[in-house]
Amino acid sequence: MANTVIGSSIVIDGEISGEEGITVLGTVKGKIAVAQSVLVESGATVEADIEGQTVTVAGKVTGNVTAREKLELRAESKMVGNAKAPRIVFADGATFKGNVDMDV
Amino acid sequence: MAERETVIGAETRISGEIRGEEDLVIKGHVDGKIQLSQMLTVDKNGIVQADVDVRQLVVAGTLVGNIVASESVRFLATARVVGDLASPRVIMEAGAAYRGRVDMGDVDAARAAVASRSVAQPASSSRSVSAEATRERPAPPRVAQPPRTAAFATKAAPKFVAPASPRAAEVAPAVPPAFPRMAGTVGSAAPAWAKKKIRRR
Repeated sequence: MANTVIGSSIVIDGEISGEEGITVLGTVKGKIAVAQSVLVESGATVEADIEGQTVTVAGKVTGNVTAREKLELRAESKMVGNAKAPRIVFADGATFKGNVDMDV
Repeated sequence: MAERETVIGAETRISGEIRGEEDLVIKGHVDGKIQLSQMLTVDKNGIVQADVDVRQLVVAGTLVGNIVASESVRFLATARVVGDLASPRVIMEAGAAYRGRVDMGDVDAARAAVASRSVAQPASSSRSVSAEATRERPAPPRVAQPPRTAAFATKAAPKFVAPASPRAAEVAPAVPPAFPRMAGTVGSAAPAWAKKKIRRR
């Protein structure tokens, strides 16, 4: 499947939606809502609400994240915002500030 | 970091502004504005409804919006494009459908015109009105002369009004020789959003 990749020098100001996965290496401000996985690579900056099947953060995210399946915060990742997902993984070294909602 | 090509996938839609210093390939749908220091490629199935300011532009899909390309523009045979175009090199393959003004002269002047228009965007409700005002304007002179670029910079700005759908590009003539005729169709082809803005006043 042809996935979407936002390169490291790209800045998007607006809304991204779609039926496929997205990998962010650059900067996104606004909103991301996709049907598949969202991967915020290390070095990437996302100032947006994120919605996806699985959300993996290795970079910096400011905003509310909703994952229908799983949210993973890798080591070195930074996240400020509310996290909502049935399964959440915090790696050792991840920084997080916000509410966690695992639907319990 | 291993540089990965930026791709907007076929099932992805972006509305907003995209800026960057690298190549960008659009296979999906982009609405808004695109500003790149490198090459923009609109894939065969890509649909772009945006003002575009890039170095190089290659269109194989559908693009509606004003184009400024500091180096070159290439429309492939499958391209459907509507909008004014400013670039020193323009290549159109047989089969490409295009409607709009072409300026191969002063790209900086054209860019300034596009920039000033987007800054003055609140006046966009009067955009189609001013398009009517310029409707009877005679075709520009055939030879590239200084007055022509000046005319592009000042007059071209409010002229372009996107058609309701990219489909309109398909019925547009492959070559745009008849400017007066084209101008006649512009007003009626105003997109829904433009009409909405007028209604709101």
